[in-house]
Amino acid sequence: MNTFELEIWDDEAKRCTFYTVREEGAKQNETDAFFEKYELDTTFKEQIQQLLSFVLDAIGENHGAIDELFNRYENEVVGLPSQGHLYFGEFHYHYPNFPLRLYALKVTSEIVILFSGGIKDGKTNQESSLHYKWVDACNYAKRIIQSINDGTIVVNEQKRILLSFDGSSDIIL
Amino acid sequence: MRSKVARRILAETPEETKIFVNLYADILVRIKQLLKEKGHTQKSFAEKLGKQPSEINRWLTGNHNLTLKSMAKMQAELGEPIIYVPKRVVFSEKETVKRHFIVYKNHHFDTNVKFEEGQKTLRIPKTYQPLAYAEE
Repeated sequence: MNTFELEIWDDEAKRCTFYTVREEGAKQNETDAFFEKYELDTTFKEQIQQLLSFVLDAIGENHGAIDELFNRYENEVVGLPSQGHLYFGEFHYHYPNFPLRLYALKVTSEIVILFSGGIKDGKTNQESSLHYKWVDACNYAKRIIQSINDGTIVVNEQKRILLSFDGSSDIIL
Repeated sequence: MRSKVARRILAETPEETKIFVNLYADILVRIKQLLKEKGHTQKSFAEKLGKQPSEINRWLTGNHNLTLKSMAKMQAELGEPIIYVPKRVVFSEKETVKRHFIVYKNHHFDTNVKFEEGQKTLRIPKTYQPLAYAEE
């Protein structure tokens, strides 16, 4: 896996700060690329609006990243170092047969790292066309969890931010 | 700061979409929290409702639309409201309307005094003396 940077995607919502990842040299971060891709696809325009509203309004403004809105992949990330409140999974937008998935790592109920996602067109992630996005997200999550565990990334819960071990906000992994 | 892409999409998102998404999330959170408070698992709750656990799972994981009927069933079992519908409180009219009343002593029946269709005022011949005058 290449070097990537953790950057703030949204810190304006009342209850949650959202981070995203940007591959070294990439023009766009993973989450923007995901939203823009499906925004431009007329088939999914309404769904992408719903998903964004779910992330920024329902989670960001109203509830925070509470378990009730977060679908955890506890079994699928058994290889990840177990660390209490860190969960990799996807935001669970409950509307029936919702086709899109957005992967995320919940650091606390107020700090979440968003990755990319895709169309869930199979029964499982492995059977869906978004399989590679899911694998990528798992790999990002592994590296981030490892960095939190070894102190490379410091979680400042009070300020709702992530910092590098040297106190700077530039987090490159 | 907020991602420019997110800002743009959110600005184009119809208000009704945002309302729908938020209502749906609020209802799901409420149901799940009530289940937790009452010590229910999806399985035990399904048994109480006489449903298959898979059906409850479909309600709570989004594979089946929540209907008003299904919410009513859950509310009846959980014993607490899932959604509130605001009710309007009726207040008495606070605004006063200015009205003038002149009461005439009616000691003669005058057949010439008639209300024409569409007429709003009634002209009383000057020969009648006012009995009382009231003003609001």
